[in-house]
Amino acid sequence: MLIRKMWRDLLKNKTQFISIFLMSMLGMGVFVGIDSESSGGAAAAEAYYKQYNLSDIWIQGAGFTDEDVRTAGKVTGVKNVEKRLALTGTSVDYDNAYMYINFMNSNEINKLMLYEGDPYDEEEQGVWLEEWFARNNRISVGDTFSIKIDSIQIDAVVRGIIDAPDYVYYVSEEDMMYPNYNKCGLAFMSSEMYPDPSNIIYNQLIIDVRDDMSDDDTIDTIKERLEKAFDREDIAVTDRDQNLSYATFDAEVRQHKAMGLIFAVIFLAIALLGIVTTMARVTASQRTIIGTMKALGFSKARITFHYVSYGFVISALGCITGGWVGYMTLPPWILGMFVGSYLIPDLKGSITALDVTATVTAIIISTLVSFLSCRKELKDPPAVTLKPPAPKKVRHSAFEKSRLWLMLDFSTQWNIRDVFRNKLRSLMGIMGVVGCSMLLVCGFGCFDSVNGLVDKLYGELMTAKNKIVLSKDADYDYAYDLCSDYKGQMIQETSVEFVSDKVKKSGSATIVDKGNYIHIQDKDLNPVMLNRSGIAMTSKMAGLLDLKEGDFVKWHVVGDDKWQYTRIVQIYRDPSVQGITMRRQVFEDLEYDFSPTSILTNISVPGDLVDKDEVSSVLNIANMKAAFNETMEIMNSMVYVMVVAAVLLGMVVLYNLGVLSFVEKTREVATLKVLGFKSSKIRNILQKQNIWLTVIGICFGLYSGWGMLYIICTTVSDTLDMFPIITLPTYIYSIGGTFLVSITVNFMFSGKVKTIDMVDALKGVE
Amino acid sequence: MTEKKKSKKKRVLIEFKDVCKKYDQGDNVFYALKDANLTINEGEMVVILGPSGAGKSTLLNLLGGMDSASSGHIWFDGADLTTFSDNQLTAYRAKNVGVVFQFYNLIPTLTAYENVALMKDIKDDTTDPKEALAAVGLAEHMHQFPSQMSGGEQQRTSIARAVAKNPKLLLCDEPTGALDTDTGREVIKLLQEMSREKKRTVVMVTHNSFFADIADTVIRVKNGAIQSIVHNDAPSDASEISW
Repeated sequence: MLIRKMWRDLLKNKTQFISIFLMSMLGMGVFVGIDSESSGGAAAAEAYYKQYNLSDIWIQGAGFTDEDVRTAGKVTGVKNVEKRLALTGTSVDYDNAYMYINFMNSNEINKLMLYEGDPYDEEEQGVWLEEWFARNNRISVGDTFSIKIDSIQIDAVVRGIIDAPDYVYYVSEEDMMYPNYNKCGLAFMSSEMYPDPSNIIYNQLIIDVRDDMSDDDTIDTIKERLEKAFDREDIAVTDRDQNLSYATFDAEVRQHKAMGLIFAVIFLAIALLGIVTTMARVTASQRTIIGTMKALGFSKARITFHYVSYGFVISALGCITGGWVGYMTLPPWILGMFVGSYLIPDLKGSITALDVTATVTAIIISTLVSFLSCRKELKDPPAVTLKPPAPKKVRHSAFEKSRLWLMLDFSTQWNIRDVFRNKLRSLMGIMGVVGCSMLLVCGFGCFDSVNGLVDKLYGELMTAKNKIVLSKDADYDYAYDLCSDYKGQMIQETSVEFVSDKVKKSGSATIVDKGNYIHIQDKDLNPVMLNRSGIAMTSKMAGLLDLKEGDFVKWHVVGDDKWQYTRIVQIYRDPSVQGITMRRQVFEDLEYDFSPTSILTNISVPGDLVDKDEVSSVLNIANMKAAFNETMEIMNSMVYVMVVAAVLLGMVVLYNLGVLSFVEKTREVATLKVLGFKSSKIRNILQKQNIWLTVIGICFGLYSGWGMLYIICTTVSDTLDMFPIITLPTYIYSIGGTFLVSITVNFMFSGKVKTIDMVDALKGVE
Repeated sequence: MTEKKKSKKKRVLIEFKDVCKKYDQGDNVFYALKDANLTINEGEMVVILGPSGAGKSTLLNLLGGMDSASSGHIWFDGADLTTFSDNQLTAYRAKNVGVVFQFYNLIPTLTAYENVALMKDIKDDTTDPKEALAAVGLAEHMHQFPSQMSGGEQQRTSIARAVAKNPKLLLCDEPTGALDTDTGREVIKLLQEMSREKKRTVVMVTHNSFFADIADTVIRVKNGAIQSIVHNDAPSDASEISW
């Protein structure tokens, strides 16, 4: 019978319980949804890496021979070594697509996953192409595919359509960070296909470590041993964390996990507050019933169990439904958007032990909280509980005794007292508003920050309209002439490796010639001149290396064994490329030859320039900007989730609060009506309190929204230095949106003032 | 305290010995009940009379194990309630006591039938709810919620709930307080039947002195003290009285 009582009581207080249900559902839904999405994504990647044997260590350098393969193979902990020549080029047809090309003479590590055609065989002539690229460009097995590497052209028959575990993510120069696999492909060929196979110079060793590593053998120790074994200054030994493909996906997954956790904590905290206020109210209103049950002979444990079961049932229903719905909807949706960004097969969500633990924990905490909030009514003997409660002790605060208090009008006084006498309820209202405005600020702030990043990249740091990318065939004289023709600026972009006391990091070096298209900004984003002597380092890279302005950094150009030890004379910020920038003079003083890799210009470039052997591609900044924005799909959808969640959160919490306070205030409001207050006047009184709480909530919300955005921006990845930007419109929209939600909900309730029947409301209790 | 007449030889069910209930209110001590001594026999219909605040509800609460005495002893069937723990008191209430409240105290979200059936949750040998409700004349209204019933019907449900447990002691706190005269008489009649026909001990608290006539024993209380205990050899029928 008590179970029936519970269901009917739940039904009677449905607004409150539905809001608790919704909050716990949303909280668990988002958490389980995003966690199962990210865990599932990670698991799919892990399975893929395992099955196709992703390399554990990479060694970049020049001129690796079979002797080097043997040297590496002898190192303790190494299981297998292969050598590769990794190059970039373009396709002859298909809009001069950017191609990553690998020549290899075996394929035990980073094995190709076959979709169609023949499995990779180093004895076979032909080329194996990436699946997405091939499919979208309608390339089939048997077609002839031509690749241009600098001035060399290779024509090969397509033997297979594949994917590769070391290329789940890659971008062409044009795409910056968001991949476009239609215009950027992968090609794998046997070393025999290289134009001069006997003189092939491998530039990469890929290493598979033993599966049964002892405790002493970590990836780091094996890396150290490899460095010692080679004892060459011109190589870079890196692991998976420094591998663009691996690290990008890993960072994406981790970022999702963090966001899911933030969401869940907010929603569950609010669900808990809801349980506290609702259970306290339900048990308070059932005081006599509790007394009766005691008098009838129900034990305290029995009654406690009965009331605790309310919180348990609702939170259990909410959490389990939420978890299930979250699992069913979010992984397919978000992982669906990964298609096109990450080339990983079988992406699907998976429930982890953490999801189950989190759900159970949330239910236990909710149950515990409902136990704590109904305990009060249960401690007295039935003779006491049967009687109505003693009136709340009303104490005057110091403020109420001050002279200022007397100057306030009645409605202000009434509201101040009401807020302080119902602290928990007020707190819950503020929390709801905080959550709502925080998510709005953070959501819109994400848009702002991405826009800010694009504007900064292509509007402030690089101001040219076109970028002519030169091929290896272009010598200095050619570049110089072209540059003069287009009144441009020559720059050289090259990969470098930095070493500090403990860490080794790969980055990029930009060497700029005379001109006015490259700008840098200091830590506080103020434009500064690039120093005439010494090198400037990005603050993100400096942070990773634990270096500051004035320190010396050890670095070398990848492929060159000459190490430099140079003072950092400037720290600057760059959102997308981490490394160093220096003037041509500085570079040449270090005894390097300046060999430009691209020319920046504001003069429009004819389309046929790209046909020249010396020109690899021409990038139009406006197109790059547009392409960048288009590929922000995942980010955008996260923002939508946040905005929808914000509005839902605000609505549910404030509606619940409205019901709570309205029920509690009914008698007071009826009294005011009897005394002759007009309904509209009473509405204003009620609205006033709501506005106060909303204003307080928004103040905290804007601040915590900025904090949340900051966390999201700074944890994006190693290479991306995003600045949290919140523009004025974002503040306006967020404040306006929060107010709209708050006032709309309150209006729904204050409208009920009219409907209160004075006589009925003032009648005795039962 | 005077005892006018000796009652017939009956088994003693309840005995109060120097029972006090006091409340500390800062500096002064307030006695809700002071040095109460009384005995109640099995099967008796007892009426406790007194004005509001006299201590009759305190007496009833102590009888029902709903409150604990500050000093003295209360024996029920030979066991001293004042030595009972909270759990023992709960078990005592569940097993031996049925309570009828002034405002019925039915659970509003349960129907009449369910309110009575609730007793199955706390005691094994309960009367079938249907029978209990039929006995109070509510067979027709079994599936109504309290809010759909009249005051008299609710009070009868409350009585059905109290007696369904087959308690040794039926306690009634102003059972007619919220009812009109005719309905009230019906309820009193029902309670008298419980005592006369079912041989239950019924203790009723009221401020209405007309009810003195129907009782076997009348206990008058004033200012926290028992004023008199009067045994009535020939109680009137409930249907005969009016107020």
